[in-house]
Amino acid sequence: MSIQFKSILELKSMLNSKTISSSELIEETFKLTKDLKDLNCFVTMNEDSAKQKAKQIDQGKYKNNSYLTGIPLGQKDLFCTEGLRTTCASKILSNFIPPYSATVVKKLEDSGSITIGKTNMDEFAMGSSNETSFYGNVHNPWKRNYVPGGSSGGSAAAVAAGIVPASTGTDTGGSIRQPAAHCGITGMKPTYGKVSRWGMVAFASSLDQAGPLARSAEDCAIMLNEMSGHDLKDTTSLDVEHTDLLRSINNPIKGIKIGIVKEFNLNDLDSKIQERFQDSKKLFEKLGAKFIKISLQNISASVPTYYSIAPAECSSNLSRFDGVKFGHRSKNSNNLNDLYIQSRSEGFGDEVKRRILIGTYALSAGYYDAYYKKAQQVRRLIKNDFESAFETVDLIMTPTSPNTAFEFDSKGAQNPVELYLEDLFTISSNLAGLPAISIPHGMVDNLPVGLQLIGNFLREDKILNAAHVFQKNSEFHLAKPSLEDF
Amino acid sequence: MDKKTVTTICYLARLKIDKEKAQKIENDLEAIIELISKLQNIDTSNVEPLYNPLEKTALKHNDVIDSDNRKEKFLDNAPSSNEDYFLVPRVME
Repeated sequence: MSIQFKSILELKSMLNSKTISSSELIEETFKLTKDLKDLNCFVTMNEDSAKQKAKQIDQGKYKNNSYLTGIPLGQKDLFCTEGLRTTCASKILSNFIPPYSATVVKKLEDSGSITIGKTNMDEFAMGSSNETSFYGNVHNPWKRNYVPGGSSGGSAAAVAAGIVPASTGTDTGGSIRQPAAHCGITGMKPTYGKVSRWGMVAFASSLDQAGPLARSAEDCAIMLNEMSGHDLKDTTSLDVEHTDLLRSINNPIKGIKIGIVKEFNLNDLDSKIQERFQDSKKLFEKLGAKFIKISLQNISASVPTYYSIAPAECSSNLSRFDGVKFGHRSKNSNNLNDLYIQSRSEGFGDEVKRRILIGTYALSAGYYDAYYKKAQQVRRLIKNDFESAFETVDLIMTPTSPNTAFEFDSKGAQNPVELYLEDLFTISSNLAGLPAISIPHGMVDNLPVGLQLIGNFLREDKILNAAHVFQKNSEFHLAKPSLEDF
Repeated sequence: MDKKTVTTICYLARLKIDKEKAQKIENDLEAIIELISKLQNIDTSNVEPLYNPLEKTALKHNDVIDSDNRKEKFLDNAPSSNEDYFLVPRVME
């Protein structure tokens, strides 16, 4: 029986009924990675260790029996994995073998899941199309030579192609939700602080958050239950009780109030994308939801706010890559200062350099108040707007992305700002620290379209409940790419 | 964003831009600065900056050693090291 395109729950049921052994499941998974290697989803494979762990599970040597025991997962190549190369899709980390694992990876592996490899991504998670990876573009499983979205493009494509039922991603401005939308799967960015950032290579520390990409909201809940939790090693980790997200996932959604943002002029979007949005609104109404117009007055400032804050934090975080303690060291240097300059210049790609330079500029003497501080003030206004909105609604609904996946090299080549506008609907929840999900809700010209639901602080339960009930009453999340081009 | 500013920022960031890419980078930076300059139109008088969505001070925990000394493992990742130190080119002439 094929394991391709199976959900976590389906694979778990096959394992429990002994229709398949854990070793057979892992064998089949690696066969799929080889058959579909043209997608370029993975940077590094973990074949030997994965097979060994599967064998231990089959022999009953593994005590835990959670939903994830024996389940193959992809880990975004931004999470440190002990003994397994972690590159962040950059040349500068092409030889880096972490001496420890990220808390997220450890928690998922302790629950019995099997890491099959490290997924491709935009270099240091900077990009919305997966075109900035040092290891090459990831292809969209629905259409070759189309972007899978980014930055978690490899994670999204591996799930969409049915290689793994779920993978981890990180989301700084939409990096889980936008590739999930472009690949036709479900992806969730949790509340800032819900999932530990320890061992996750930092891009913009006040915006970064890890989350799952999977075939359904239910599978996202399973993943997030294991990934969440307080971690003393991350000072921004929330010390709160994390409720079981599966508990309320089947609740009826009659009477739920969903906000539509009046400042987002959806008439500017492709008419077919507008139609999908209206269809989903009708389905939610049929399920008992009420729609209310809300105002997020400062939302149009999200993109410029983000592109002041994120590069500033990036320029500071990426100063650690200097060719001294780990990573690429240039062979063409005569003194220490030259070693820093040459190693960084040879090791980083163009987009990473651009963001470091913008951040350095925004933080430099004379400009700090005008750009960085100003952006953090506007950020508070954006957060205040959300707080007012959530006094009247339970969720906010928007498209995930203004368009579907596009062809390689078609955006941002002349002007990077063109690609930055991809993040229009997603970045405000990072600025405010709020949870949000993208679920597939139909196709436009044979490419998937994503729908975003944003929730209030720590209300992942409400988002997953609404998304799951939507998925129980529709079949968009069950659509599969033919993969005939690969 | 003129050549001189780009050169200064590049030095501060310890980055070198290839000559053939200099003009493109300059244009890109100009476009991004234009984008983020839109914030200047928003009235933020009396608004406190929000540096972190949680707005809380860093948690503290007791400083207890809870892992082994893994010096060798860390030094293994270094491009150049001896038994105890990371090695870099000579600093003093």
